[in-house]
Amino acid sequence: MAKVKKKRVGFVIDMTPMVDILFLLLIFFMFTAKFKSEADSAQKFQIKRPQTTADTTKIPDTDLAIIKIAISKAGNDTSYHYEVVDFDTRKQIWTQCQEKISPDSLFTAMGGPKPQINIGKDLVALNLLIKNSRLVRPNMKFAIDADKGLEWKWVYNAQEQLRLNYATTFNYVTDKKGS
Amino acid sequence: MSGGGQLKAEHSKRGAESGRKRKKRVGFFVDLTPMVDINFLLLTFFMFTTTLAEPQIMEMRVPPEMKAEIKVKQSLLFTIYVRNDNKIFYALGMGDPIPTTIDKIRPMAEKYNVAEGAKNELITALKIDKKANYGLVVNILDELNVSEAYITKEISKGKDADGNAMLRERRFTIADITADERIKLYGGAVPAPTGGGNK
Repeated sequence: MAKVKKKRVGFVIDMTPMVDILFLLLIFFMFTAKFKSEADSAQKFQIKRPQTTADTTKIPDTDLAIIKIAISKAGNDTSYHYEVVDFDTRKQIWTQCQEKISPDSLFTAMGGPKPQINIGKDLVALNLLIKNSRLVRPNMKFAIDADKGLEWKWVYNAQEQLRLNYATTFNYVTDKKGS
Repeated sequence: MSGGGQLKAEHSKRGAESGRKRKKRVGFFVDLTPMVDINFLLLTFFMFTTTLAEPQIMEMRVPPEMKAEIKVKQSLLFTIYVRNDNKIFYALGMGDPIPTTIDKIRPMAEKYNVAEGAKNELITALKIDKKANYGLVVNILDELNVSEAYITKEISKGKDADGNAMLRERRFTIADITADERIKLYGGAVPAPTGGGNK
């Protein structure tokens, strides 16, 4: 008599190759991941950058101040936004500017510096921020991140403020063509 | 990993006790399910948070003092105008602006920059109306940047006094459209120049 057939309760799949592939992908994405900055996740507008030929120049990670010019969703009104990447530098600059710019727009309710401040159309405030940025960090790099649909005068006025502060080399933030 | 990775014998003890023929133990199974779960979780997280399309930057230099007048040879001036209706014009020397399109800028820049007597001498000026589109301006700058590759290659074929390959010295400026140029550029209907304000 044949042995009593064992009741089949399940089956086994060899997961080893899958785990291999998973680990590979996981390691790849872990190393390439770059998180959105706190300013980016807090901002209420989106910038459609102009597209240029692929280049190897990437936006610097440190000592960077970004002047963002965007058409905000609410009110369809163009305004300047100023962002400093490093926390400590930002805090120093904001502190130096608080006599001229209302502290409400510079600091959060907790007293920390806001990662990005909205200065509206105020070119005087922009000038002050650039001046103090250069005082705090003499080798601060500046970038203009503007929407491609904007009129040239917005960018021109921002770069005039940079030029008045002798920041004659700056960058336009662009996107790769075709991405 | 807590809980996971339990070792399981291929056969339970019960099998041996019941007197059945003992199968030779060839290996062991590790339950990989919890690890796979965690892996998938992490993988999905990193896949969604990662940004592969990083923004890039285009470097720009402006002269520190716009008031200083620099005298240049008229023949060595290549001007690109962008009008308020986003139409592009170009002019050589003090000639009249000629309408052109964006895809013609690169061949033109390459041609005039490697012409005899103009190598490293030609000044490219970009004059933009305040109402022109910023995206278009960046596209023109991009075309000029791309043309630099060819110009640098052509110029490096020449030799300097010491016999070394000549280096490219780029001469480029962004300037305002002057009153005279406005008349030429817009014909009869000259729009009032917009001031520095944002109004």
